[in-house]
Amino acid sequence: MYLELIDVLISGLTNGSVYALMAAGLTLVYGVSKAFNFAYGSFFSLGGYIAWMLMAVFGTAKGYFFVFILSVPLLLLIGYGVERIIVSPLRKRQDWEVKVMMVTLGLALLLDNSFQVVFGARMKSLPPIMEGALTINDVIVSYQDMAIFILSIASILCFRWMLNNTRLGMAARAVAQNPAGAQIVGIPQNIIFASTFAVSTAMVGVGGILLSQKYFISPADGWDILVKAWVITAFGGMGSIRGSLYAAFILGMLEACVGWLFGMSWILVANFAVLVTTLAIRPQGLFGKWG
Amino acid sequence: MNWKNMAAIMAAIYGIMAMLPFFLGKTNFVMHILIMCLIWAVVASCWDLIMGFAGIFSFGQVAFFVIGAYASAIVSNTYHVSPAGAILLAGGFTAAVGILVGLPCLRLKGAYVALVTFAVHMTLEPLLKGDFGRAIGTGGSRGIMAIAPLKLFGVTFSSADPVPFFYLTLIFFIICTLIILFVIKSYWGTAFVALKDSENLAASLGISAFKYKLTVFALTSFITGLAGGFYCHYVGMLSHRLLGVDLFVTLMVMLAIGGIGHYPGAIIGAFITVTLNELLAPLGTYRPLIIGILIILLVLLFPDGIIGLVQKVFTSKADKATKPVY
Amino acid sequence: MLRATNLNAYYGEFHVLENVSIEVLKGQVVVMLGPNGHGKSTLLKAICGLAEKVEGKIIYNEKEITVQPAEKLVNQGITYISENRELFPQMTVMENLKLGAYSKNARPHERKNLKKVFRLFPRLKERKRQLASTLSGGEARMLALARGLMSNANFLCVDEPCLGLQPNLRMEVLRIIKEINQQGITILLVEQNIPKITELADQLYVLEEGQVTFQGNKDQALGNTQLKDIFLGM
Repeated sequence: MYLELIDVLISGLTNGSVYALMAAGLTLVYGVSKAFNFAYGSFFSLGGYIAWMLMAVFGTAKGYFFVFILSVPLLLLIGYGVERIIVSPLRKRQDWEVKVMMVTLGLALLLDNSFQVVFGARMKSLPPIMEGALTINDVIVSYQDMAIFILSIASILCFRWMLNNTRLGMAARAVAQNPAGAQIVGIPQNIIFASTFAVSTAMVGVGGILLSQKYFISPADGWDILVKAWVITAFGGMGSIRGSLYAAFILGMLEACVGWLFGMSWILVANFAVLVTTLAIRPQGLFGKWG
Repeated sequence: MNWKNMAAIMAAIYGIMAMLPFFLGKTNFVMHILIMCLIWAVVASCWDLIMGFAGIFSFGQVAFFVIGAYASAIVSNTYHVSPAGAILLAGGFTAAVGILVGLPCLRLKGAYVALVTFAVHMTLEPLLKGDFGRAIGTGGSRGIMAIAPLKLFGVTFSSADPVPFFYLTLIFFIICTLIILFVIKSYWGTAFVALKDSENLAASLGISAFKYKLTVFALTSFITGLAGGFYCHYVGMLSHRLLGVDLFVTLMVMLAIGGIGHYPGAIIGAFITVTLNELLAPLGTYRPLIIGILIILLVLLFPDGIIGLVQKVFTSKADKATKPVY
Repeated sequence: MLRATNLNAYYGEFHVLENVSIEVLKGQVVVMLGPNGHGKSTLLKAICGLAEKVEGKIIYNEKEITVQPAEKLVNQGITYISENRELFPQMTVMENLKLGAYSKNARPHERKNLKKVFRLFPRLKERKRQLASTLSGGEARMLALARGLMSNANFLCVDEPCLGLQPNLRMEVLRIIKEINQQGITILLVEQNIPKITELADQLYVLEEGQVTFQGNKDQALGNTQLKDIFLGM
């Protein structure tokens, strides 16, 4: 019982860290461009499949370092292209927000079914990033969990640093805070929109690579991820990376506990309950500024 | 669009629909497609009313449809209520769920409404499949089999003989679309246009955004629930597969073809999409793939759908006759 | 330096500017007067590539620059300073200034311009770590001006810099604008009934209902009694 609880907590922490990464990406893209991306979850699966493909082509011997080096630029490129080709032309239109939802929903359906056609409906699995485990008095912590945790936290910190210190990051924040002001100082908004979309795609894709090795990759996995990332963003507060971090850990824990106590089918219900409670009591989220 | 054109289009649709069985009544398959067209046209119209006119980004339309269908099936199967009564009860139940969902989220900004309503959709599937669902009689992941067919005034409307059911659905369709048309063209519709333009301005004119949104949300949930009930008693079985993204996007294609906020467009979009969907059925896995591509292209290339296209053609002709005005 | 001929601008279906032509010579301060809502801001925005729909011709340094996006114009040294300030509220004063030097043209001169700006606005130096949202109205106005200068502009379009300021602060702002001009930056200034504005101006225009109704230098403006009464508040 006690040991089981520890396992549940470790799983909550690991998953929570990856959720935080993915929620931060979502906050970024919605905060800057106000585009609701329904294909966000499909990019999660895409990350997993890219990693699987790289492993299949080049063998597992070269390890994950190689996978990340190749997949991150690829994901950035895909995200950038998607924004320029299907999202950006809609911005000037009437009701563009709904239209963006519609095209990204179409993209999600397209991607999910392409996965199914290309890779088949059978689940794929990735080898663990590290073998072995650390044992302290009966408590076993696998190196895999530790690696996932460290990698996602490091990615979030790196992302935060970029946002605060690089030109692109500052420009992104400027557009999020005051689009008109950003235009006045000469920030090309279209490039910022596309870049933030690209970065968020890479973030959720990396999340997919990290989580897929613990679970499996299957074509329609992304939908849960989309909802979870949004729930975390709403719960933590739109535009607050610190908020997403706390919210992701709380939700990761909650999820692990609910799954353990009541069964997996209640996880989404618990997420939904958290979402509705948050929006009813504190619509700006834990740390957010409403807007 | 003005009253005259709208009424003309609607009358044409009703007339053509009412006559079709005389030509196609022999083939059950075609009648089945026509019935599906009518049912989905009702659901798509509701969605258009919500998204296109009320400006609420609701993504729970399929969820409400499924809730209505399951509610009706459970009430008639488990509690042996007559199907007609069950459909009405299901409509009421769905409206109640709609209000329950609308209460926390309709005050919020657009994307959050999308999120909450979509989360309802996502949450529904594990609920229906899981222990809770089995306990209330959803049949878990197997679904519900053998739902009693609709009986009214001693006549049984079943899928075995679709022509009577078709006319029943047509009446239902006419009533629902007239209600929606009435809402769009009434004081309500004007209020919504004002709300979409500027919520602050509307508020200063004494239009309470929340009240209107909640009312229209409840109304469309009610109608969608009824449509769900109709559907389940016609098809005779239900499964959680209805909640797949597939159907969700198909419904969206209807709006994209018809043009969001260009009212009778949604109906025409539904007819085209249902037919297209049946024609694409032999393609199997490629069908959703094609639908995905289709919606992206439609939204990018024809932002206002068929109606928008037709209007454009007409106005550009008119423009040549008169000088452009600023 | 800049010549705009027959500018027409529309806001939705509303015709805001009707055949407006103006000319600004290098090193001048040109003042644009006129009642509220008659198109002054739209004119500045049209020049800076920020207006919705513009027709006509704008020549800047012998090159046509009509219908170019703002980011390209900023890069060529044309910068708009908004009457609404348009700062980045959740960023520090320093970050706001750094973003002012976002364009490629401004980047190499960032350090030099920062020094210049802090000499002009010592208050901002004291508050450089503060969030922009915590500044007072006057300080925020200074920051907007300073951020505009950071773009290394040769041509500043300043939109009602005295809006909502106390009289003594207005004088301070006008003094600073004069100082900026003396450093060799050409200025197109939009204002409404501020006394002493004529002292600043090399050339004056009045814009009413989207059309230029007066054009002339300081003496001509002071000689025009109607103009004196209505717009100069004397």
